[in-house]
Amino acid sequence: MGKVLKEWIFTTDHKRVGILYLIGSIAAFCLAGIMALLIRAELTYIGPTITNDPNTYNVWLYFHGAAMILGFQIPALTGFMANYFIPLMIGAKDVAFPRLNAFSVWLFFMGIVLALLTFVVPDPPDVMWTGYPPYSVITTGNTALYTFTVLLIGFASIIAGVNFLTTISFMRAPGMGWNKLNIFVWATGAGFIIQLIFVPVLGTAVLLIAFDKYLGTNFFDTTTGGDVLTYQNLFWFYSHPAVYVIFLPFMAIIFEIVATFSKNMVFNYKVVVYGGIFGIVLVSGEVWVHHLFVTGMPDWIRIGQMVTTLLISVPVGLMVIGLVGTMYKGAIDLSKTPMQYAMGFIFLFLIGGLTGIPNAIPSLDLHISDTYFIVGHFHYVMAVAGTFAIFAGVYYIFPKMSGRMYNETIGKIGFWLSFIGTNVAFWTQMEMGLEGMPRRYYDYAHLPQFESDQMVMTVGSILIGIGFILALGNWIHGAIWGEKAPDNPWGSNSLEWTTTTPPPHGNWPEIPTVDADWHPYNYKKS
Amino acid sequence: MFKGFDSKRRGILSTFLGFGILLPQTSASIAFETSQSTTINDPAPGFDELWHTVMVDISVMGVIFAAITIYFMFKYRRKHPDQVGDAPKMSAAQAVGWALIPAFIFMADDFYLAAKGWQLWNKFREVPADRMEVKLESGMYSWDYTYPNGVRTQNKLRVPAGKPIMLRMTSRDTIHSHYLAKYRVKEDSMPGRVTYLWFYPKEEDIGDRDNLVTCTEYCGVMHSYMVGRVEVMPAVEFMRWYKQEESKLSQNNNNAEDNSTATATNIILEQEV
Amino acid sequence: MAEDTATHEDHWDTSSAPLTISVGILFLCLAFIFYFVYDSGMAAIISLGIGTPLIIGGIVIWVNEAIGEEGEGLSVPSMGWFILAEAMIFMSLFANYWLQRLMTPDWPPAGTPAEMPVLIPVIMTILLVTSSFTIHIGEDKLANDDKAGFIKWLVISILLGTAFLGMSLFEWVHLVGIGFDVTTNVYSTSFYSITGFHASHVLVGLCIFIAILIPALSNRTNIGLVKTGALYWHFVDIIWFFVVSQVYFW
Ligand code: HEA
Ligand code: HEA
Ligand code: CUA
Ligand SMILES: [Cu+2]
Repeated sequence: MGKVLKEWIFTTDHKRVGILYLIGSIAAFCLAGIMALLIRAELTYIGPTITNDPNTYNVWLYFHGAAMILGFQIPALTGFMANYFIPLMIGAKDVAFPRLNAFSVWLFFMGIVLALLTFVVPDPPDVMWTGYPPYSVITTGNTALYTFTVLLIGFASIIAGVNFLTTISFMRAPGMGWNKLNIFVWATGAGFIIQLIFVPVLGTAVLLIAFDKYLGTNFFDTTTGGDVLTYQNLFWFYSHPAVYVIFLPFMAIIFEIVATFSKNMVFNYKVVVYGGIFGIVLVSGEVWVHHLFVTGMPDWIRIGQMVTTLLISVPVGLMVIGLVGTMYKGAIDLSKTPMQYAMGFIFLFLIGGLTGIPNAIPSLDLHISDTYFIVGHFHYVMAVAGTFAIFAGVYYIFPKMSGRMYNETIGKIGFWLSFIGTNVAFWTQMEMGLEGMPRRYYDYAHLPQFESDQMVMTVGSILIGIGFILALGNWIHGAIWGEKAPDNPWGSNSLEWTTTTPPPHGNWPEIPTVDADWHPYNYKKS
Repeated sequence: MFKGFDSKRRGILSTFLGFGILLPQTSASIAFETSQSTTINDPAPGFDELWHTVMVDISVMGVIFAAITIYFMFKYRRKHPDQVGDAPKMSAAQAVGWALIPAFIFMADDFYLAAKGWQLWNKFREVPADRMEVKLESGMYSWDYTYPNGVRTQNKLRVPAGKPIMLRMTSRDTIHSHYLAKYRVKEDSMPGRVTYLWFYPKEEDIGDRDNLVTCTEYCGVMHSYMVGRVEVMPAVEFMRWYKQEESKLSQNNNNAEDNSTATATNIILEQEV
Repeated sequence: MAEDTATHEDHWDTSSAPLTISVGILFLCLAFIFYFVYDSGMAAIISLGIGTPLIIGGIVIWVNEAIGEEGEGLSVPSMGWFILAEAMIFMSLFANYWLQRLMTPDWPPAGTPAEMPVLIPVIMTILLVTSSFTIHIGEDKLANDDKAGFIKWLVISILLGTAFLGMSLFEWVHLVGIGFDVTTNVYSTSFYSITGFHASHVLVGLCIFIAILIPALSNRTNIGLVKTGALYWHFVDIIWFFVVSQVYFW
């Protein structure tokens, strides 16, 4: 027992580090999900519903946003999935620096611990996940907790980035050229490049807030010549690219799943990689001002970044074509849960991505900015499409990871409940936003026309919640009681399925070699 | 309440669902047509038009992709367990074509939308010369307006119908955002900077109890209660109120400087009446 | 998960260093929070007292484990990636500084002393540049298997770096003494945060050198580690040129 525990908490093996990441991020997801339900309960009726104190609501919302993005999605994608998949996909025994890898996961856990302190400290942080000054500087809430949560998780992903980029560059199996990498490896690598360039900027931004608040510096203090918008620029300079750090891996895992369940070559592989993925990396740094369309930035920059933002639809569109095209003349098996999630993902992502288009046009954003329309947009694209992708990925790798099978029926019921719930909840939310419901409202007493819509939303979110809980329960049940899984249950061609299930330490007794006509998506050779 | 949206409430987004394409030109641009007013280039109806265009545009995109996905999903079902995909190998020319042609189509669409958006943006930015400028200072948690003649109001913006109103905004503490849903416009107000927005109250807005000012930037505990109201008044009535307040003001402080600025603006306003 | 099926596998690599250091860092954050948010000096000192030994202990374990390993040959290219990230920190600080400087009508803002130090930064520049050369010489010595020469030049570099830090500190104390501290105005804010950030990097570089020096004294070295440390040091050196030209002499 002691040995087992030691081999887990002191582990440097990439698969175990990955599972630790998964545990941490799912924990964050559950808590943030409970916050979401509390938020929904509070908003169901006009006036105070389950709490009389607006600040309590604000703390929930702070935790919900920060934990979902920083504690759940980024770690689940660039922590868990990157760790579990990348070394297996490129045929490496481990990552380049196993100890650094373990350091990264534990820093992430310390960030989670700090985030959890929100619920026990007096004056918890109430700065929302964006932490704009001057409010974050003058509030009585504990902004330092926000700063350190962001810093620790940010630093964790910087060192993960260093680690994985080195791994991908130097540790590919013999014979595996660049054009034989899985889409997931490409996309996550690109995501890490984005992390390395932009996370430090976020780190600086939140640190400057702490300096202003606790050391008395003047960065954002207008009375001594500081400027409040500097922070917003620094913050979004990271946080817009961050949505692509989320987007690239989650889109890529859907690529893996669709290719596997269609047993088909990825459509236009090179264009997806060099046009799509790297197109996004290229444009991602030039669009942050679309979050500042209503802050009075100079006109030229608003118009300029409208154009760059709209142009993001080009690389993203190429990726969507690649994704849908992969199904062309495939042998599609829709009966498995991961594939169902993947198909659901496509529709949700289309809705979410396309509603980004009106946001990107400043003259339309003047009306919808900071309303529920925005909240609806990003819940479609990130909160549910992203979560669906993560869930699809977990279901997909589940047999390999745990050595057991999950229950297909429960998996599918869970999928359908959350798919329906999502559309009920977040479509309604966009409608409300269009009609002028501002976000971050504890109460909407003067906007009584929205009460019925808010109720509909609550019903929808309960459906989503049940669906998600079924999925979580399914995994726990499967990991303990499921039947034994074969080595390659989906018949995939990719390298990660060639090891035994579950993979031993070191992954393969002998590092695999790939030959000239091998390709992770080449099913036809036979 | 939101007159612009009432009639087509569920219409506008369901356009996006794809149904709307079947009945082109719903009531999108009808809402504001009654305001056949002079030369004021009111952006609000332009918003509704552009919104409609964008919705149709992205619906077309979305429906095409969704339809193809659904078609593939059923067309290429796996027939027997050992079947593998049969995608034809692409030649280099095909691969490049599948990159460039869609890329240019998407780009064309993007530039089309960008051009439309820019056009409307200019309307939002070209404030009519014939306007009334009101100063706004926001604070936790109120909207404090100061009229050209020095009259101050709180959380209530009285404006004459038919006169474009421009707000010059700043804040004394945190960032707030002055949101006029009815006029489809908002802009942040923050310490250390002056921002502006303008809108065009019309005759039919008179007496609209739901013409609200809401705060759309998180600014503290009472953020959701930071609400004001725009009261559109007939021009004559507004002038009466305006004068009355002004004389109250000058009774309170018989300051010569105050009066001189006040009369200057009176002249402008009187010309209009 | 699925421990049973992995029975044929008897051994998983472990290291206690990562967890130890992470917990240490957590306690440093707590110390800051106790001191600045909850005004509790006592709790802050206790947290520091727990955190610092954990971090140092963790580093010692880490270095001990890593130094014996053959060829962490990948650490040099990976340092390149890390430097990219570090450079972005300085980029954002400079961007902030430039923007503020260009937006402020009269510069330097009120409160800035009439004469900012000139001589000290020049001397500091010379020290730091020299140390970049000395560490390079040390690296060469090591490559030629001259352990004693390597240690000599490493110690010289450490001394130069320490002198640099000392002068920084001296200068800050002097400036604060004449009423120019972090709260004075936007310039002081940028001045201290940029020079401070840079100094903290010098400090980290020195720590790396010391972590290399101690095992080297008992004849344990790892060329990969030395090269990586030296690369980091060169980076810190290059950043200093920006600091000195932008913050002192612009
Ligand atoms: C994973 C997360 C994610 C992703 C991928 C995106 C993707 C996009 N987002 Fe979103 N966004 C968020 C998460 C995300 N967003 C979050 C969290 C916020 C709010 C933050 C906050 O304030 O708290 C936000 C806010 C936000 C705003 C700010 C609104 C405001 O506050 O006023 C804007 C404005 O431009 C925007 C635009 C876009 C655009 C244009 C895309 C594009 O990348 C979408 C591209 C995709 C498509 C377009 C669909 C597929 C393409 C085709 C089918 C091709 C053909 C299409 C065309 C030619 C149009 N987003
Ligand atoms: C990935 C990100 C993510 C995800 C997945 C979600 C998921 C959800 N979000 Fe969230 N949301 C954000 C990111 C996300 N959100 C962000 C960034 C903001 C902005 C914050 C800000 O303004 O600063 C926001 C804001 C936000 C608001 C706006 C509030 C406001 O502006 O006033 C609302 C309102 O309805 C909401 C609702 C929901 C709902 C109903 C879900 C549902 O999908 C959640 C469903 C999940 C569950 C219900 C959990 C199920 C699991 C359990 C219950 C665990 C059970 C326990 C054990 C088994 C131990 N969210
Ligand atoms: Cu003022 Cu929100
Ligand atoms: Cu964005």
